[in-house]
Amino acid sequence: MKAKTQEELIYLNMTMKVPYKWRTGETMGEFFRELKENGIIYANQCPTCGRHFCLPKSVCTRDHTKCTERSKWIPVGPKGTLVTYFMAEQSFLLPTTGEMLKIPFAVGIVLLDGAAVILQHQLEETDTEKIKPFMRVEAVIKPKEERKGNIYDIVHFKTIHE
Amino acid sequence: MANRVAIVGIGQTTHSGRRPYVNDGELIYDAVTKALADADLSINDMESVMSGNMDLFEGHHLNDAMLNLYSGAAGKPGFKMNTGGTVGSMMAIQGWYHVASGLFDLVLVIGWEKHDEGLVTPAISTITDPAVDRPFLVGAIGGLATVSVAYMQRSGCKLEHAAMVRANASQAAARNPNAHMREIYSVEEVMNARMVMYPLNLLMCCPTSLGATALILASESKAKKICKKPVWMKDHVTVHVEYGGAQFGIGEKRWTSHMEAGAKLFKRNNITKPMVETQVFEMYDPMAFAIPMWLEDFLICEPNEGWKLVEKGALKLEGEYPVSPSGGVLCTNSIGDSAILRVAEAALQIRGDAGEHQVTREVKQALASGFGGSYWSDLLLLSKTKD
Repeated sequence: MKAKTQEELIYLNMTMKVPYKWRTGETMGEFFRELKENGIIYANQCPTCGRHFCLPKSVCTRDHTKCTERSKWIPVGPKGTLVTYFMAEQSFLLPTTGEMLKIPFAVGIVLLDGAAVILQHQLEETDTEKIKPFMRVEAVIKPKEERKGNIYDIVHFKTIHE
Repeated sequence: MANRVAIVGIGQTTHSGRRPYVNDGELIYDAVTKALADADLSINDMESVMSGNMDLFEGHHLNDAMLNLYSGAAGKPGFKMNTGGTVGSMMAIQGWYHVASGLFDLVLVIGWEKHDEGLVTPAISTITDPAVDRPFLVGAIGGLATVSVAYMQRSGCKLEHAAMVRANASQAAARNPNAHMREIYSVEEVMNARMVMYPLNLLMCCPTSLGATALILASESKAKKICKKPVWMKDHVTVHVEYGGAQFGIGEKRWTSHMEAGAKLFKRNNITKPMVETQVFEMYDPMAFAIPMWLEDFLICEPNEGWKLVEKGALKLEGEYPVSPSGGVLCTNSIGDSAILRVAEAALQIRGDAGEHQVTREVKQALASGFGGSYWSDLLLLSKTKD
């Protein structure tokens, strides 16, 4: 705005810090348990349409059927194909931690080998000249003693040349 | 069979990045009184008053209760909505449901947002699953950057085309006194803006604005009595989809919420040439790749043709098919207000009341869209005539 506006009236500064405890549910809970204990990325399967989900879903979006049959789970990845990505060059406040995002921060949408749906996670590479859609990537999983059973047990996806 | 519904009153505030001398309720009151004045009606004529915004942006949960003195909702039936970027278009659509049902003759719907009060990006990031996606989504802009990269990859669209879209939008917004960012930018100036979220630089992202829009919707019998230029809400479609590979054409044919919305709306209304049978499109365009990419997705032009229309200048205000002649969301983005503003601006184009940013071709039918949530779409068809 070019013109100087009316002088500001009183304003109030407030910060809301609200702690939450989210339940991952039985399906994601089992996914994280496998990731933590065995370092394996699993996909589950919809009994109706047969698609494999990674990240797993308890219920299929399209068929609305329960996908909890454990014997139908298959290991997927850790290699996959980068579908697309973004690269943050400006920092933003993170609602998960209340901290500022460390930049540069590249996030890829990855289709793991064997899975039918996509997974979103950090990329190791942050040079946009070197990130190409459809390039091959591989999940880097933390050593067992450092794994906690959450999404950060996957450190990031690194570029691979096959 | 649904009853016919017309827009008979339109009110919008001016939009800006900061407006320190009004609070949320005073902002709403400004839009409501403008809509009532436009329809020459009083708040007592309204049988239902409903509003929508995103609670987390202002940090005020269920604010419709405390703000009902400003909206005029006190003592009347209705509810509040919060559906992300589609809030505004959903407000128009909810108003339509109320009137089309035959239960209401006059309904007031309001979309508003005051982004100078909180942080938009961290609030938006909370739409995702906290266990898996949230650490890797950086607001709406992260998601929009990924679809932009995918669009460039599959269509041949270049950063320069996005810069042309933003430069065109700036020309349009300069002619709209209610727009937020009214500075005119050249393609070079847009290209030289600092990178925020590759491939989107600062000017290729929508701003954070504040503003409110109110619409008064009427049944056919009321509309004829109170309004010389009713704008008919001919049809609308809302689509929610799975966030998955289909967005990117992975493992199956590419299919998005916009594609589903366009296919349904055009089929139901026997529209085979959308760029001929509708004359203007106020698109919810939250970043510079949206117009070319989503013209394709709404099935308005052929795949990979959107950026060529940009190159030809066909989508400018005076072009063959003007898109977002108000400057669009690219120049004004008060999110809960953004999509209802698209409906309001499309209606003004039909009435011929858009002023300096009235398009040059005659407008008989117009499209307006909303986008948000997690890849959810609204598409509305407005018409000068009721059939």
